[in-house]
Amino acid sequence: MSNFLQFTVFGIMLGAGYAIAATGLVVTYTTSGVFNFAQGAVGMIAAFGYWELVSAHHVPVLAALVIVLILGASIAGAFVERVLMRRLHGASAERPVMVTLGLMVILTGMATIVWSPTTQRSVEPMISGQFRLVGINIQYQYVLIIAVAAAVAFGLRALFYRTRTGFALRAVVDDPELLGMSGVSPNRMSQYGWMLGFMMAALSGVLLAPTQTTGISIPALTLLVVSGYAAAIIGRLKNIPVAFAAAIGIGLAENYITNYIEPHLSSALQTDVQAAVPMIFLFAALVTLPSVRLRAVGRLTSLRAPRVAGGRESLVAGGVFLAVAVVAMLVFANSSWKGITILDLGAEVMAFGIIALSLVLVTGYSGQVSLCQFTFMGIGAFIMGKVAGGGSVLGLLAATAICAAVGALIAWPTVRLSDLYLALATFAFADAVFYGFFSDGRIYGSGGLSIGRIVLPGLSLGSDKAEFLLVTVFFVLSAWLVLAIRRSLFGRRLVAVNDSPAAYATVGLDIGFTKVAVFAIAAAMAGLAGALYGTVQGTVGTTDFDLFSGIIFVLFVTIWSIRTVSGAFLAALTYVALNQIWPSSIGIFAGLGVILIGRAANGILGIEALHFRLPWVKAPAAPPEALAMSTFSGAPTGSEGLSAAG
Amino acid sequence: MSDRTEPTSDGATTTVLPPAVSVRGVHASYGRIEVLHGVDLEVPAGSVFALLGPNGAGKSTLLKVLSGRMRATAGEILVGDVAIGKTPSEKLARDGICAVPEGRGIFPNLTVRENLRIWTYRGGISMKDVEEQTYDTFPVLKERRRQMAGTMSGGEQQMLAISRALVTRPRVLYLDELSMGLAPLIVAELYDLVGRLARQGMTIVLVEQFVTTALAVADHAAIMVHGRIDQQGTPAEMGDAALSIYLAH
Amino acid sequence: MPPAEATATDVLTVEGVAVRFGGVAALSDANLRVRAGSVTGLIGPNGAGKTTLFNVISGLQAPDRGTVQLNGTEITHMRPHRRARLGLARTFQRLELFGTLSAGENVQVGLESSVKWWQWRHVKRSFPWVKRGAAATVEDGPSGPGSIAVATADRLLEGVGLGGLGAEQASAMPTGLARMVELARALAMAPKVLLLDEPGSGLDDAESQALGELLTTLANGGMGVLLVEHDMELVMRICDYIYVLDFGDVIASGTPEQIRKDPMVQAAYLGTVTDTEADAVAEQSPPPARSATPEDGAGGARGADEEDDEVAEA
Repeated sequence: MSNFLQFTVFGIMLGAGYAIAATGLVVTYTTSGVFNFAQGAVGMIAAFGYWELVSAHHVPVLAALVIVLILGASIAGAFVERVLMRRLHGASAERPVMVTLGLMVILTGMATIVWSPTTQRSVEPMISGQFRLVGINIQYQYVLIIAVAAAVAFGLRALFYRTRTGFALRAVVDDPELLGMSGVSPNRMSQYGWMLGFMMAALSGVLLAPTQTTGISIPALTLLVVSGYAAAIIGRLKNIPVAFAAAIGIGLAENYITNYIEPHLSSALQTDVQAAVPMIFLFAALVTLPSVRLRAVGRLTSLRAPRVAGGRESLVAGGVFLAVAVVAMLVFANSSWKGITILDLGAEVMAFGIIALSLVLVTGYSGQVSLCQFTFMGIGAFIMGKVAGGGSVLGLLAATAICAAVGALIAWPTVRLSDLYLALATFAFADAVFYGFFSDGRIYGSGGLSIGRIVLPGLSLGSDKAEFLLVTVFFVLSAWLVLAIRRSLFGRRLVAVNDSPAAYATVGLDIGFTKVAVFAIAAAMAGLAGALYGTVQGTVGTTDFDLFSGIIFVLFVTIWSIRTVSGAFLAALTYVALNQIWPSSIGIFAGLGVILIGRAANGILGIEALHFRLPWVKAPAAPPEALAMSTFSGAPTGSEGLSAAG
Repeated sequence: MSDRTEPTSDGATTTVLPPAVSVRGVHASYGRIEVLHGVDLEVPAGSVFALLGPNGAGKSTLLKVLSGRMRATAGEILVGDVAIGKTPSEKLARDGICAVPEGRGIFPNLTVRENLRIWTYRGGISMKDVEEQTYDTFPVLKERRRQMAGTMSGGEQQMLAISRALVTRPRVLYLDELSMGLAPLIVAELYDLVGRLARQGMTIVLVEQFVTTALAVADHAAIMVHGRIDQQGTPAEMGDAALSIYLAH
Repeated sequence: MPPAEATATDVLTVEGVAVRFGGVAALSDANLRVRAGSVTGLIGPNGAGKTTLFNVISGLQAPDRGTVQLNGTEITHMRPHRRARLGLARTFQRLELFGTLSAGENVQVGLESSVKWWQWRHVKRSFPWVKRGAAATVEDGPSGPGSIAVATADRLLEGVGLGGLGAEQASAMPTGLARMVELARALAMAPKVLLLDEPGSGLDDAESQALGELLTTLANGGMGVLLVEHDMELVMRICDYIYVLDFGDVIASGTPEQIRKDPMVQAAYLGTVTDTEADAVAEQSPPPARSATPEDGAGGARGADEEDDEVAEA
C-alpha cells in the first residue's frame, strides 16, 4: 500500500510538471493561434541555463530562478512573437508549424554545442531533503512542484478574471479584431501569450530537472514535456482546467505503468515501453479527437505554383542527370573527403534524395506535414538487414511493401485530423518508434546491423561505383515517379484535396482515402530509401535515424522547395554536405533557414527576387492581362465523362 | 447636427466640432479580388450619413477601411484633416473613432460586465460611468450583467455592442448593419439611440440594409453598387432610387 | 409552376429543416422544392440563412431537424461526396477552387471523379511510353493534351465561355472567370441538381447576362437549378419560381412577379412598409397564395446569425 501511495505522489508530481507546460502551450495557442512545438525545448534550455548559473557560476538559487524564469523566459517569448511569429500573419497553415520546429532544432542544436553531451550534469533540488508522511517518503521538491502547479492554476485564474491584462487576453481569444477596435493592440496580447507560454515552459523544465536521476540530458528534457502536449490536446487546446487535470492523469498513468507493468517485462522491453509510453498517450489523445469539420472557407492562394515538367521533358532531364552522374562517378572514382569516399557520399545523397522526394509527394503536393519519414527509413533499413541475410532484392521489396503497410496503418486514423494534429501524430509516431524500438539494442545490435550490398544473379554490385550507380538510378526512377504522379489523375487529386477539401468532397471524392494512399506511397519510398541507405553504409545503427535529424531534414526540404524535384535534390545535397562539414550546426542552419524563408511557400527556389532560377525550373508565365469571357457555345455537361475512355 | 461640449482641464467647457470624413479615390481588395473600385465620399461634420446598396456592393468593406481594419490599396481617407491611411485600429479607437462591426460587436465568452470593462480600455472613462450609462439606457443589460454575453438574445447582444458607442463618446461612429437579424421593435429602439447619439454631436456613417429605417435617421445618403458610389443625395431622393435597385423595378 | 404538393418531377425536396448555432436559430423551418428543368431562386436579406441551407443540402452542415431528398432518395445524413455521386453539384459563395491546378485541371477533377485510379488500366496510362489506350487517346495518357478527358474539359470550359483558357492557373484568374471555372467543374459531374451560391457576385453586366443565358439553357436541358443570388435583376429575369428566406423561415414563395409585389418581401428587404404603400399594393391584386408563415413580423428576439452568409466581401 505504501508503494501505491509512493507511486501516486510521484505521479502527481510528474503530472504537475506536465500541467505547467501544457497550460503554457494552451495560453500561447489561444492568444496567438500558434502551437509551440518548441515548448519542450524552451524548458530544456531553461533547465540548462539554470544549471549553468547555479553549478558553474555559483549564482544563488533565487537569483538564478529570477533570471531564468522571469527575465530570460519573458524576453525570449516577447522576442519570438515579435521577430518570428508576427511576420507569419496570413501565411499558409503549415508555416507556423515549420517555424516552431525550426525554433526547436535551433535550441537543441545550440544547447548541444554549448553543453557537450559527454559531461554529466545534475541539478540540485530547489528545496532539498524529504519528509515522512503516512509511511512514505516525500521529497520537498515534489511538494514544491505540486505547489507551483497549483499556484500557476490559481495565478492564471486570477490573471484572467481579475486583471486588466487578463481580460484583454481572454478578449483576444474571442475576437482580436474587436479588441483592436476597443483600443488594445491584439499583437501586444499575442506577445503576452508567448511570454506566458515561455515562462511556463521554463518553469516546468527547471522544476523537473532535479527529478532526472541520471542527470539532465538535452533530448530527454526536450521530450519530457511532450507528455504535456497530450494533456493540452485532451483540453482541445483551449480548456485549461481540462488540460490540467489530464496532465495529472497522464503523470499518474505513466508512473503506474513504470512501476506496475514494466517490472513484469524483460529489462530490454522495459526501457522501450518507458520511452514510448508518453508518445502512445499523445497518439491516443490525437486519434480520439473529433474529425475536422469540412468547411468552405474560400481560401484562394494567390500563389503561383511551380511548373510541373512534362513527360518527355522529365525523361530527358533524368537521362541528363544520369549521364552527369556517370561522368562524376568516373572522375571521382578514387577520391575521398573527410575520410569517406566521394562515391559513398554521393550514394548517400541519392538515398536522402529519395526521402526528400517522398516529402515532396506527401507534404509538398498534398499538404500533409509528415515528421516520420526517417522512421520509415529506419524500418526499411531494418527489414533489409533482416530479410534473407541482408543485401537481397527480396529485402528491398519487403522493405518497400512493409513500410507502405505501416504508413497506411498510421495514416488511417489520423488523416481526418487537422494539419497541426496530423503533424503532431507523425511526431508522436516517430518519437515512439525511435525511443521504443530503434533504441532497443536488440534491433540493430550492439555493433549496428550489417547490410550487405545487393546481390543480383550474374551482376557484381559490390564495388562503390556500382553501388553509387544503383542508388542514383533509383533516385532518378523515384523522381520520374513523383512527376508522373503529379501529372496524373491521382496527382491532380492530391493537390486538389489540399487546395480545397470542401470542394473536393462536393465533387464526389473521398478525402480520407486519397490521403491514406499518398501517405502509404511516401512511406514506401522512404522505406526503399532506407534499405538502399543500408546497403551504402554497410552497417546501420540507432543514430542513423534519429528523431531530431528527421525533423531537420524536413526543414531542409522546406527551405529549398518542398514542391519541386530540384528542391528535393538540393536539400539532400546540402544536408549530407553539412553533416560532413559541421554536423553540430545542422540544426541551427535548418532553423535559421526556415525562419528566414518566412512566408515564402515555395522556398528558396521560389523567390523570384533572388533571380536564382535553375533553367529548367522555369518561372511561371505572367498572369493573363485581359482574360475575357467569349460568348458561350452551348451547354454540354460531363455526361460523356471518361466512360468512353474506359 | 450639433457641436460637442467637452470639459477642458481647467474646468471650463469648450465647443469641439466633430470632424468631417473625406474619402477620395479609395480602392480595396481581398487578396486579388478588388471590391472597392474608387470610392469618393464626403461626410459633412456632425451629420448622419446612410450608406445603402445591394449586397456585394462593398459597403461593409468601405467601413472596414474607414475604421482601420483593412488597408486601402489606393486613395486617401481624412478624418478632420488627418489622413488615417496606415493607422492601426487600436490607435484610431483611442483617437475617438468607434466602429460597431457587422454581426455582434461583443466578446461572447466574457460576461456583460467584463465586456463593459473592455470598453474602458480606450482610456479616459471610468467603469462606474460606463456601467451607469449603459444600465440607464438598457436596463435589461443590468439584469444580465453577470451573464455570458454570447448566451443573450440577438437584440441584447446588439445593445451591448452599441453601448460601446455610447460610453466611449467617439467623435466618429461607424455602424455596420445594426439591424441584422433583429426584430423590428428592437431595431426601432436601437435607431432611437442612434438619433440621440447624433444629437450629442458625432459624425455617423451607417450601413443599413433596411432603407426606410436608415433614411429616417439620416441627413445624407448614398447608394453603392459594384464597389462605387452610384448616387448621393437627400434621404427623400434616395428612397425611390433604392427601391428600384433592390427589387429591380 | 411548382405547386404546394410534391410532384414526381421534384429533384430536390427540403422539408422542415432547422439549424441552431449556439443560442441562435439560423434556420427555423425551411421548406422548398426544386423541379427538374427549372431555375429556382432563393433570396433574402443578409443573415436570413441561405448559405446555411445550402450547406445542409450539400452535406457540410448537419440539420437539427428536417429532411433533404434528392430524386426521392433521402440524403439528410449522407456524407457530401456520396451526395455528389447521386447527382448533386454546387458552387460556393467564396470561391472554392483548386487554386494550384489550372482551370482545365479543375474541371478534369470533376470529370474524373468516378474513376478508380488504382485500377491498372489507369495507372498504366501514366507511363510515358504507353501511347495508345483502348479508346484512342493521343499521347501521354489521360492527362496529356488531346486525350478525351482533356477534350471534354476544354469543351466544358468553352461552354461556360472560357474557351482556350484551360491552361491558366486557377488562382490567377479574375473572380468572374474563376466563378465560371467553378461552374464548369460542377457541370463536369453531369448533375441533376445544381446549387449555385451567389454565382453572379463579382460579375459585370455582360458576364451576368451570359450567366443568365447559360443557366436557362441548362434548365431547359432538364437540370434543376437552385440559385442563391443578391443580383435581383438576374433573379427576376431567369427564375421560374422564387423562395424568400428571412429569419430562417420561408416567408414567401411564388413567381417573380408575385414576389416583386409582395409587401412582406418588401418589408423584409427595405424595412417597414408604410400603410399607404401596403394599401396601394392590395388594391392592385389579391394577395398571392403563398406557403409562408403568418404575418408576424415582430417575432421577438430572434437573432439569425449567419456564419458563412456574411457580406465579408462587400
